[in-house]
Amino acid sequence: MKPQSMSNLFRYFLLSLSAAIILVPFYWMINTSLKTNAEILRIPPTLFPSEFRFQNFADAIVKAPILTYLLNTVVVALSVVAISTVVSVLAAFAFARLNFRGKQILFIVILGTMMVPQEMLIITNFMTIADLGWMNTWQALIAPYCINAFNIYLLRQTFKQVPDELYLASKVDGVSNFRFLRKIMLPLSKSTIVTVMILSVIWIWDTYAWPSLVTTKDSMRLVSNGLQNAFTNDSGRIQYEIQMAASTLVILPLVFLFLMLKKYIISGMVKGGIKG
Amino acid sequence: MLRPKGTARRNRYDNSAYFYLLPALLLLAVFIVYPIMNTLITSFKGEYRFLTGDFEGYSWQNYVEIIKDPIFRRAILNTLFIAFVCIPASMAIALFLSLILNSIQKWQGFFMTLFYLPQVTNVIAAGIVFAFMFNTNFGVINMILGWFGIDPVAWISGQGIASSPKLYHQAYARSLFIVFVYTVWQGISLKIILFLSGLQNINKQYYQAAKVDGTSTWRMIRKITLPLLSPTTLYVFITSVITAFKAYAQVVALFGNQYGPAGDDSKMMITIVGYMMDSMGDYLSPGSISKASSAAMILVVMVMIVTAVQIKISKKWVHYN
Repeated sequence: MKPQSMSNLFRYFLLSLSAAIILVPFYWMINTSLKTNAEILRIPPTLFPSEFRFQNFADAIVKAPILTYLLNTVVVALSVVAISTVVSVLAAFAFARLNFRGKQILFIVILGTMMVPQEMLIITNFMTIADLGWMNTWQALIAPYCINAFNIYLLRQTFKQVPDELYLASKVDGVSNFRFLRKIMLPLSKSTIVTVMILSVIWIWDTYAWPSLVTTKDSMRLVSNGLQNAFTNDSGRIQYEIQMAASTLVILPLVFLFLMLKKYIISGMVKGGIKG
Repeated sequence: MLRPKGTARRNRYDNSAYFYLLPALLLLAVFIVYPIMNTLITSFKGEYRFLTGDFEGYSWQNYVEIIKDPIFRRAILNTLFIAFVCIPASMAIALFLSLILNSIQKWQGFFMTLFYLPQVTNVIAAGIVFAFMFNTNFGVINMILGWFGIDPVAWISGQGIASSPKLYHQAYARSLFIVFVYTVWQGISLKIILFLSGLQNINKQYYQAAKVDGTSTWRMIRKITLPLLSPTTLYVFITSVITAFKAYAQVVALFGNQYGPAGDDSKMMITIVGYMMDSMGDYLSPGSISKASSAAMILVVMVMIVTAVQIKISKKWVHYN
């Protein structure tokens, strides 16, 4: 327990060992997804597939409409990102720059909603959606995610860092608020906006309870909802290799997105992001 | 605050602000504020039928009923296990790894990337993978145990538990262990990132001064690092415990919609949110919305109490500069 007194080598050994343990699920998933059905049933299991069976991925796509789920998730994620970013940017601008009656109290209300577990909202939102006749619609999957108090808070903090002088100077020049937001605020806050967008994608990718409530049709389901129990064969046995192939198809896109945009995601998490 | 003092426009209100706020406020009202109030009200409605809106008076009946329900008590117990056993353990591991990460010069980014991967998965997909890892015959866990000469363990099995309390408790212990492993794995990424950024914000001069005085590393960690990191620790603890109280999807991913190993009909691993979802039913077979609402209110109150207690206790151990 004394990092400083540990030899350097031992530190790297501990880190590598921990990393290896953390990666076991990924390895086991990909390893299994490439095995043949006969090899899956071998006891003890093999550490490496004796032959690669890429057909498992095709089977997963045919057995459960994984591609539909993925596409649905992408559509919902992109819509939520587009709408919630616009909504949050506008609100954050008002809180950061404009002076209006009730500003303090409204901001406190918005911060307060961050403390409420999202899960309690599901019950009433479900009734609202059912009353509106929105079951199995895109609106139902998208609308409740478009308001995100944390995003408003994060953007407002960023906007506040833009110097007052810039705003006053643009006012003197007769620049409208909206033009100021578009031409000066947004470009200066680009990295926070990208962060907010990616966090929304991760959030939607992981979401489970809400989409499973408001969709009953396969054609409207998201990735989380489609995965379970979809891979049993005629005799009721779970086809693990296909299940793992499907899981791989669901997990890999997000891993790639992360590897490409690591910088933004980590900074967003540090600024206080927590999933859900 | 917004304009330099003394400017003429200081107290003028900008009414255009409401246009900027309109979409956010509308969504906030419909999907957040109204649901909070409605859930509170619904939780007191007796015999509430959600299709017609009929109900028979307000009372504590729903609360009394669910508190008497052994399944709800199990849900509370399981949720508390996740919040106060899994979370502290994963925080300890994350803190340990962050301290090591912070002390190395090379490859820090590389290890960070690897440690971050569990965060960018999908709760159901990863849960299915874990369930398979714990498979009796084909899973990697039993394979590794086999290397040490340990016989295969039937991890997710509820065989014979209905008739034998002893077998039931054993199956419960195994299930808790699986939830423990999955929860720690799932939550470790974010904690490492937060701890590491907290560690990097500690002024290096403290360490330099301590080094001049010949202070041992262990003492430095105890007397400098941990106290200065304590605001981060509190933040991680509070947010993680809140997340833990909402646990639901990971249990469904590991154990399915019946919240237990095959052969269990007691919803062994159900959580509070799981109980809420179950009470609610679904669109095709609606259950009791009012019962679900009282479960949700109990969840909210528990989260509020736990957070308040954490903040209260934190005054004793958190140091702010």
